[in-house]
Amino acid sequence: MVKKLLRIGLTVLVLSSALGGLLWTTMSEATQYYKHVDEIMADPVAWYGKPLQVHGYVVNAKRARNSLDYRFGVENNGAVVRAEYTGLVPDTFKDGAEVVISGRLSPEVFTVQADGIMAKCPSKYEPKPGSLIEGRTAY
Amino acid sequence: MASLGSFILLLAFVVCTYAAVISVVGARRRSTSLTESGVGAFYLVTALMTLASTIIIHAFVTEDYSIRYVDNYSDSAQPLFYKLTSYWGGLDGSIMFWVFLLSVFGAISVRLNRERQRELIPYVVAVISVVMMFFLFLMIVHKNPFATYLTQTPVDGRGLNPLLQNFYMAIHPPSLYTGFVGMTIPFAFGMAALITGYVDDSWLRAVRRWTMMSWLFLSLGLTLGMVWAYEELGWGGWWGWDPVENAGLLPWFTSTAFLHSVMVQERRSMLRVWNLSLVILTFFLTIFGTFMTRSGVVQSVHAFGEDTQLAWMFIVFMVILLLVSFGLLIYRLPLLRARNELESWASREAAFLVNNWILLFSAFFVLFATMFPTLSEAVTGERLTVGPPFFNKWMLPIGLALLLLTGVAPLLAWKKSTLSNLRYQFAWPTLLGMITAVVIYALGFRVWVSGICFAFCAFVLGTLGQEFVRGARVRQGATGTDIMTALVGLVSNSRRRYGGYIIHAGVVLMFLGFAGAGYKLEEQVLLKPGQELEIGRFVVRYDALRQSNDDQKQMLTAYMTVFEEGEFAGEMYPARWFFHKHETEPTTEVAIRRSLSEDLYITLAGYELSDQTASFQITVNPLVNWIWLGFAVVALGTGIALLPESTFAFAAAKIPAGAVTTRMLVIAMMVTGLCVTFTRAEQAAEPQRVIVVRSPLERELQRSIICMCGTCGRKLLNECICATASSMRGEIGELLDQGKTKDDVIQYFVAKHGSQEPLAMPIDEGFNRLAWFFPYFVGISGALGVGMVTFRWSRKAGESVPPPEETDPQFETRLDDELRNLD
Repeated sequence: MVKKLLRIGLTVLVLSSALGGLLWTTMSEATQYYKHVDEIMADPVAWYGKPLQVHGYVVNAKRARNSLDYRFGVENNGAVVRAEYTGLVPDTFKDGAEVVISGRLSPEVFTVQADGIMAKCPSKYEPKPGSLIEGRTAY
Repeated sequence: MASLGSFILLLAFVVCTYAAVISVVGARRRSTSLTESGVGAFYLVTALMTLASTIIIHAFVTEDYSIRYVDNYSDSAQPLFYKLTSYWGGLDGSIMFWVFLLSVFGAISVRLNRERQRELIPYVVAVISVVMMFFLFLMIVHKNPFATYLTQTPVDGRGLNPLLQNFYMAIHPPSLYTGFVGMTIPFAFGMAALITGYVDDSWLRAVRRWTMMSWLFLSLGLTLGMVWAYEELGWGGWWGWDPVENAGLLPWFTSTAFLHSVMVQERRSMLRVWNLSLVILTFFLTIFGTFMTRSGVVQSVHAFGEDTQLAWMFIVFMVILLLVSFGLLIYRLPLLRARNELESWASREAAFLVNNWILLFSAFFVLFATMFPTLSEAVTGERLTVGPPFFNKWMLPIGLALLLLTGVAPLLAWKKSTLSNLRYQFAWPTLLGMITAVVIYALGFRVWVSGICFAFCAFVLGTLGQEFVRGARVRQGATGTDIMTALVGLVSNSRRRYGGYIIHAGVVLMFLGFAGAGYKLEEQVLLKPGQELEIGRFVVRYDALRQSNDDQKQMLTAYMTVFEEGEFAGEMYPARWFFHKHETEPTTEVAIRRSLSEDLYITLAGYELSDQTASFQITVNPLVNWIWLGFAVVALGTGIALLPESTFAFAAAKIPAGAVTTRMLVIAMMVTGLCVTFTRAEQAAEPQRVIVVRSPLERELQRSIICMCGTCGRKLLNECICATASSMRGEIGELLDQGKTKDDVIQYFVAKHGSQEPLAMPIDEGFNRLAWFFPYFVGISGALGVGMVTFRWSRKAGESVPPPEETDPQFETRLDDELRNLD
């Protein structure tokens, strides 16, 4: 009985530590910090190069002629971060729209990753599958 | 009508309480009349819930907008079909729909098992009644679908979200609910078995079909959700690891595990504790999934305030649920000792065990990753998010391992497989898998995960084919019929086994579709008329952008010509529709060119009317239709496994050999045809003037005051972006500009609306605290009181019941021996 318990205990220990370790390592690659613009811009240097999701409101959105290159600012509480993005944007993307952008910050600009703009869905209805509808990266 | 509805809900609650109490008392006193009375009361609840459902549907059809719920989720322009489906369009109604389904399922399961499971039935009634009481309580104190407007009645409703006015969305929730609610029945029987101590396998037999049926509906619900996302949302994929999707997936994992480990218990009397745990977990996860998606706990910790009341009710219920059920399980552990040991890892039970572990791990992984942002914020204060890539990274290997087991497990023998046995079973399928791998590699498809998946698919199909062919051969030899007849006979004789194999074949087909995603091509482009884009085998030319009108809407359609391998292959018309009254929310009309090998999928993302340039998302989704096709096969297999003996024997005798395959084809075609049906989606989007928060005080105020428009479901001002919220935020800003303090602003809103209704939580002082606490106080003391009465009432008589007679061990052994000889 003791032997059996020991065996089960060891198996569980090995399996869980292996899985836990894997989870931990993959986690650190896959996580993004979720911040408001003002929180980031309070100390931008600390965030350079880190994977970020930034929440704020679009200002001064411009698209270069005949391309899908966008330049815009994201503002919250008076702080603005400049961002660049190439690709399709959600329908609601325009000045004043509430968005969450994913990407990385550098000293010059916030580079938004592919499909990295999520527009907040109108909250008039209850959330349903796809409450952040556009710009999701998945299969 | 509304007050009648409210009254019926109250009455249902009372009758439920009676049913629960009287059943327990009856069981403990061994009084048939009392337990019969409990069952009667239980049926009465079903009748009452049917009546309540009829009333709310009547209100929807007759456009009774004095009922808030009807006003919020329908309008007069809505077609009748969507008026009916608005019943489960919102939270209040879906809770009621939940109770209604549960009462119906409960009644059916009690009716079917009342003779065979005489000992369990009273407790089944009690457990289901308690679950219903929870949801009824929820409705009565917090989310009453019959709540009315006190003052003026709106002339017309606000309408169901256009995005949800779509065929798949109308049938997807009830299907998912049927699956979710159905899982309560196995839980109730499992609990009854634990309470009574009759923990032999008879409770399993009672619930096997229920679990299978619920599992089918859960799978159907998930698949419909995928179809909806693919056809309507226009982002080119079908699964985004959205918290709501994940909530449906969690119980699916555990119930799948249960369906497999049940077999081990039936065959080998092992895993008894495990099975009960899975049943409890599955039920728990259905509740937890509802909690997770409905209380707002997942989106953000701030949003926890969205419906704190609901969240706490759920938390209390879940904690009690876990404590009681696992407590009972531990209490009954001595009765649940396994009668057999695992003899070898090369056995079917071992393979099932591994499959169970993987499924359980998947459930915990998905749960963990879904809750991770919330957890990280709660623990570290830093909000960290994980996206779909993280899920994919983990679920791909897990999926592959499960797929491999799908093929391996059925080939292993129970107890222990010998080496020669393994060779006999595995030689051909392994060869097939390896050939596929080589061919795929030689053809130059170099996506590792998908390649391995294809090889595994071939292997599994090989094992399944081998099973069918060998089985049919043996039968052919025995009966002397032709091979098709033998095949039908084979399937009809052991429907569960071969139904299971067919389900596995369907799963393999679905995996083909999943693997295809590895070869997905995607382009986002801006095109001028006449410009072309090459994507895979296709060249897509954008010809023109045209505008047209009909009664309902203005349509902006892009005309595209598609060439396949240089040859003209057809035209496609992705579009955006601007419905009248919804001009700011254009809908995306995806154009899909389907084939079994791949879908060409085009969405019109943006446009410039002046120079006719338009931006598109163009995707090639290889093999995606195999997912839907695979599900059709899964459904067919489940159907075969579920059919009662008599039906199938009769059918198998009458049907000529060839007809079965034809019928399978027809069914498969019908289901795919269903998937292919083209309906439109509406992209809901409502640009609003946004007021930027300028000070922490302003943010705090926005978080403590709710939107008063009546449709936002009491959303906080900082989260709600409807017009009313916008103007209310404006008011806050103005008041603060005037130098008003927090209390001034709060007092202003209280005075303006004549009550504390606009506050997210009542002002925390004196009487209000009592008001907060009161309903819970009454609820909890009521529950305690009922429990005590039940206990005392039943104990008196319980003592007078003579203790079970002592049995003679010798006699027991002899009985065991003789029973064994019977097998």
